[in-house]
Amino acid sequence: MRPFGDRKRWRSPNQKPERERRGIDPAMFAMLRALIIVLFGILVIQLINLQVINGGDYEKRAEINALREVPVPAARGLIYDRNGVPLVQNSARFSATIVPGDLPERGEAGVYRLLSEIIKVPVSEIEQKVQEGITRQGPYSPAVIKEDVDRDTALVLMELEPHAPGLKLIVEPSRRYLTGSLLSHALGYVGPISAEEYVELESEGYLFQDFIGKSGVELSYESVLRGKNGKKLIEVDAAGRELKVVSERRPVDGSNLVLSIDVELQRKATEVLQQYAGGSDNAATAVMDVRTGEILAMVSLPTFDNNVFSQSLSNEDLSALIDSPGKPLVNHAISERYPPGSTFKTIVGAGALQEGVASPWTTITSRGYITVENEFDPGIVYVYKDWAPLGALDFYGGIAMSSNVYFYYLAGGKADEGFRGLGEDRVAKYARAFGLGERTGIDLPGESPGLVPDAAWKEETIGEPWTLGDTYNFGIGQGYVAATPLQMLTEVSAIANDGGLLTPHIVKEFRDSHGNLLQTVDKRVRSTVPVNREYLETVQAAMRQSVTNGVAKNAAISGVEVAGKTGTAEFGPELANGKHETHGWFVGFAPYNDPQIAIVVFVQRGSGGNDASPAAAKILDYYFNGTRLAQKPDGEGPEVTQ
Amino acid sequence: MIDRRAVRHFDFLLLLFAAALVSYGGLLIYSAHLSIYPEGVGLGHPLVKQVIFAVLGVGLTLTIAWLDYRIFGQMAQGLYVLAVLLLIGVLFTGESAYGSTRWFDIGGQQIQASEIAKLFMVVALARYLADRQAQMQSVRVFLTSLALAAVPAGLVLFEPDMGTALVFGAVWCGMVLMAGAPFRYVMVLIGMIVSAVPFALLVLISDYQRERIHLFFDPGSDPLGGGFNILQSEISVGSGGIFGKGLTEGTQTQLDFLQTSTTDYIFAVLGEELGLIGALVLFALFSALLFRGIRAASLSYDVFGRLIATGIVIMILFQVFINVAVTIRLVPVTGIPLPFISQGGSSLLMLFAALGLLEAIVLRHKRIEF
Repeated sequence: MRPFGDRKRWRSPNQKPERERRGIDPAMFAMLRALIIVLFGILVIQLINLQVINGGDYEKRAEINALREVPVPAARGLIYDRNGVPLVQNSARFSATIVPGDLPERGEAGVYRLLSEIIKVPVSEIEQKVQEGITRQGPYSPAVIKEDVDRDTALVLMELEPHAPGLKLIVEPSRRYLTGSLLSHALGYVGPISAEEYVELESEGYLFQDFIGKSGVELSYESVLRGKNGKKLIEVDAAGRELKVVSERRPVDGSNLVLSIDVELQRKATEVLQQYAGGSDNAATAVMDVRTGEILAMVSLPTFDNNVFSQSLSNEDLSALIDSPGKPLVNHAISERYPPGSTFKTIVGAGALQEGVASPWTTITSRGYITVENEFDPGIVYVYKDWAPLGALDFYGGIAMSSNVYFYYLAGGKADEGFRGLGEDRVAKYARAFGLGERTGIDLPGESPGLVPDAAWKEETIGEPWTLGDTYNFGIGQGYVAATPLQMLTEVSAIANDGGLLTPHIVKEFRDSHGNLLQTVDKRVRSTVPVNREYLETVQAAMRQSVTNGVAKNAAISGVEVAGKTGTAEFGPELANGKHETHGWFVGFAPYNDPQIAIVVFVQRGSGGNDASPAAAKILDYYFNGTRLAQKPDGEGPEVTQ
Repeated sequence: MIDRRAVRHFDFLLLLFAAALVSYGGLLIYSAHLSIYPEGVGLGHPLVKQVIFAVLGVGLTLTIAWLDYRIFGQMAQGLYVLAVLLLIGVLFTGESAYGSTRWFDIGGQQIQASEIAKLFMVVALARYLADRQAQMQSVRVFLTSLALAAVPAGLVLFEPDMGTALVFGAVWCGMVLMAGAPFRYVMVLIGMIVSAVPFALLVLISDYQRERIHLFFDPGSDPLGGGFNILQSEISVGSGGIFGKGLTEGTQTQLDFLQTSTTDYIFAVLGEELGLIGALVLFALFSALLFRGIRAASLSYDVFGRLIATGIVIMILFQVFINVAVTIRLVPVTGIPLPFISQGGSSLLMLFAALGLLEAIVLRHKRIEF
């Protein structure tokens, strides 16, 4: 290991190379050079791995780092009443959030402390919500720390935002319903998109933090009101600050809705109904233009203030609202079905005339009840009562006095007297023809189809054969038959407009955000009732007589001829005095000679003649005479004399 | 003190490569600071400071080259004691940053104690080993030299600065082998260290180091905290591809996704903006510089000079390797500047001083020939 030994010969003796060169192996220099090459070689191999082999992946990740796509929300469409009265306003709702990915590496505690002081939320809670946010939606989506921050706090946060990376004030559009509880059922409300809705709607461009219509027209016209969110591709720095907009697609604002509702009529109808509903759990009324199907007013009691859904609603408050006895969130005008009672006689009457079972001159005498012997055991006799011994009645009288006996005959017949009735099958046929047992197709969500029973239905559902007694009950709108107030409204409209069964609608027009008319909702006739016009006119006349001279006298108003039919439908178990609780109904239209509007009033635990009829009268009076009366100094109409 | 004619032996290439590296680094520092100094290079720009230090550094090179390096041999004991005192002092009075205490603050200028200590230790070790050329087979000499290196390395490890401690170890290892210590001694030592690794991992290393090692294997476990730099530097380099995104065009660099992008992570800037090609140019420059260093060692007319040159070459080589390897995720995170490239005055001055020693060795190699 002394390779320099032979070199000694070339050097002069006084150069002392032996000492100086000792211990150094020139191979060491070669090894040192080799080490340099090997170490740089290792680095180059890893660089090729990163930059050449996986370069594409890293390039994408760098892009994801630097570019962020943020939605530019479209303004939700506004809603007006038929006279242009604004019903909803878009306003801002502020939420304090934290984007975990933008927090400073070692300064997150500082940001938490700052935020904690401003919004008065403990740091531990902030930390917890940030963690939840990360697990739920990753570090780059804002985790909401506090919703509904007031405007002053929001301004402070806005000022602070650039100096506290990670802090983000989210400004969300919010809905303010200007009429409060007056139109809650019709308008509905919006709420944050649920996980299930998001899964379903993600492909339509909905975002995780989006708001979506939850009920009313906010739900049924969601796609129209929503518009189309824009998109903005922005370049952000590591602190999440927006540096520049790379590209932008402007949002398309939602279209405005003009409702057919007249908000003043709605207000009056609500007041009147509240007055007559008394201790009822619920009540409903609706007014429709019989010529177009436009709903002019629709009230369901009890109501609620839909603005509560624009704030963060606690679960307790929400369940209190849901569990409240009158079910305020339910639109009782369309979502609940009730036995229609005597209002159903208009259908049976029209069917009986059409089928030749009765004529306007068919006279039947009511002694207050009829009896039917049991088919197999004549010893057993069933009794079907009328509400009073009304004596001999023709068709007009039968309807005007709302005789049950008269309609027992028309529906079920009286075999021992040789009177043939319609029978269950044909009653059901006419009930369906007038739109019962099927949703009306109104442009509101949550409609009930009601129920039209027949023999097959009873066999299948209850497992018992249909009896004559069932037909008698069916004939007077009792028993199994059930309808929503809106169904009865379209039914009476069909009588009033000579047979057109209309699809009711609550939206009249679509307008763009500048107010230009986009589209008018046309009248839609679902079907034409298979009853000759002369027979419908007979029913109309009978209903007119009911108001002038029958049980619906309380529905009369001055100046306009009202036609109508009351109903007092029994429901529930028999009470101690042998009676039942009743629902009060009124269906009617006016003016009698040239029908313009139809009305339905339903009062749970009420009477048709004493609650529903006078309520209808007041609403109709307001409609026909209200404008004139409103100009009076006191603004109040005269008391209707009953 | 030097013959005027000897100037022709001055290794201009060595200084040229160093100047090329500093200029290359200057471009990267400029680019990495663009988001903070968008209006260009003014007097307050860090680049100005870097240039001033480079000029001072060249002055230092010339001064040291002009001196006879053997006087450092005579001062070796004093330099060693000074190095150890500096390292102890910094632990008590130094400035902390990123969880480690490495700097003295003198008149607003941060001085990294370990930079000075590194060079002093190379000189001291060279002197010790040169004096004991005849006894290189002796275990006692071997262990004494190890102890000489272990004391400053241990102090650096306390700061904690694992990277610089590793450089100390590599420098010692290269120097004792170059001095003629038997390979088997080194192999036995390495064997002992390797077998002690599990024990060290369990007991000796601090939580800070354990966390760094954990993060090295799984940076995704804390992508926004400790793992952030590991992931972002890897993304930066990887996204640069073969040709890079162009100087000042790297999104990672310009949008501040890289932290300490002008010091420890400056290679990530290079990788992103200049790509694989830029890295190869850098490695070529470093290789050329280091080969000139080996040339100095091979020309040296005494063992002392040869060992100093070897120590300096290994010191620069390992600093480059560790710095780049950290950036491209080959080794766990440890903060260490990239020689000549990273922004930083003490590092630059130390390196130019080291070049001065190399030049001094080259200048005097033929002094005895006439």
